[in-house]
Amino acid sequence: MHFYLKERLEEVRKRVLYEQYAARKIPTWERIILTWMVLLPFWLVVSGNSRPANVAIGAATTLIISSLMRDMLTLDVRSKGNILQKGLYFMLVWAPQLAVIMMFRILESSVRVARNVMFMDINPGIVKIKTDLNSDTGITVLANSITLTPGTLTLDVRRKLGETYLYVHWIDVETLNREKAGEEIKGDIEEWLKKIFW
Amino acid sequence: MIEYLLLAFGEAIMVFGALGILRFPDVYTRLHAATKCDTGGAMTILIALALMAHAPTLVRLKFLVLAFLIALINPMVSHAIARGAYKYGIKPKVVVDMYAWDNP
Amino acid sequence: MAEENFLVGAVMILTFTSLLLTYRVLFGPTTPDRVVGVNTITTKVVVMLAIFAVIRAEYYLLDLAIVLLMVNSVGGLIFAKYLERGGAID
Repeated sequence: MHFYLKERLEEVRKRVLYEQYAARKIPTWERIILTWMVLLPFWLVVSGNSRPANVAIGAATTLIISSLMRDMLTLDVRSKGNILQKGLYFMLVWAPQLAVIMMFRILESSVRVARNVMFMDINPGIVKIKTDLNSDTGITVLANSITLTPGTLTLDVRRKLGETYLYVHWIDVETLNREKAGEEIKGDIEEWLKKIFW
Repeated sequence: MIEYLLLAFGEAIMVFGALGILRFPDVYTRLHAATKCDTGGAMTILIALALMAHAPTLVRLKFLVLAFLIALINPMVSHAIARGAYKYGIKPKVVVDMYAWDNP
Repeated sequence: MAEENFLVGAVMILTFTSLLLTYRVLFGPTTPDRVVGVNTITTKVVVMLAIFAVIRAEYYLLDLAIVLLMVNSVGGLIFAKYLERGGAID
């Protein structure tokens, strides 16, 4: 009885969440164009020459592919503002800032692992933290960022009652309180991700 | 000049990562060393190579695409291996294990 | 050619670290240790391919590096799935 009620409540919450999200889904042509804006520079860089024929072939191919695969990258993007604002904000402000932040985090974590190797001052533990993100892409990027920040490694993701929990292997446990550990581990990465993903 | 500094820094990080994989006590801490040192060292070396190569701009950008792909793929694989190792039955040497509290 | 000497030295250091990691692949106490060693060695081979591309000025080797990186990721995911099922080949 108890388990039946729990499962039922979980189903209802999932449906409410899905309907809230489906109401603000971005339209189809915007999804196609956003995917195309990601795929065309990738084609240009990987193919490696910039003759007009090559660019035309690449534009046609990536347009076909992005019209088929329009849901893979952009299903979890917040729909706020029009498409030009969103694309320019993503390419010129959001992505470079996140890239610079993550680059310095990666260097810091490498130096810290080198220090741990020399002095062996480790005190490992597995802690559980809660996150506010709900979409698949957002959780994936957050888990990868947590793995690259100093001293932490994501083990597993668990969804329970409409909330998302992450299990994190921490090489030097400082606190066991869930809120403090979340503050310490996630930092400001989650705020950056909440601007784009829901 | 800065590219040689970056190259030497990346090589030092790679050496420390290998020493960490040899010295750490169990799989999860070894994964720490493998993921962070490999990603940091590889990205630093690739940025140095992009500054060093005598090539047009599109070819230099290819080095940065390789660095981006390494930074995207390496943590994902380490996450999968850590979860697989836990399900395989390897107990971590830790002070507190909240994952075992929820999966008895 | 100071630049080439630096790059050849970098390749030699990477080969040395790969030899150190071979210990973990051969005598690792458990199976996941071996998987970690193989993945790390492959990432080092990717970096070595990129350095060779700069030394020889043959930039098609970068495409080989990208393909090797993707094959490495798929192999790691398959090994992780194998470990998750408890080491049984079904």
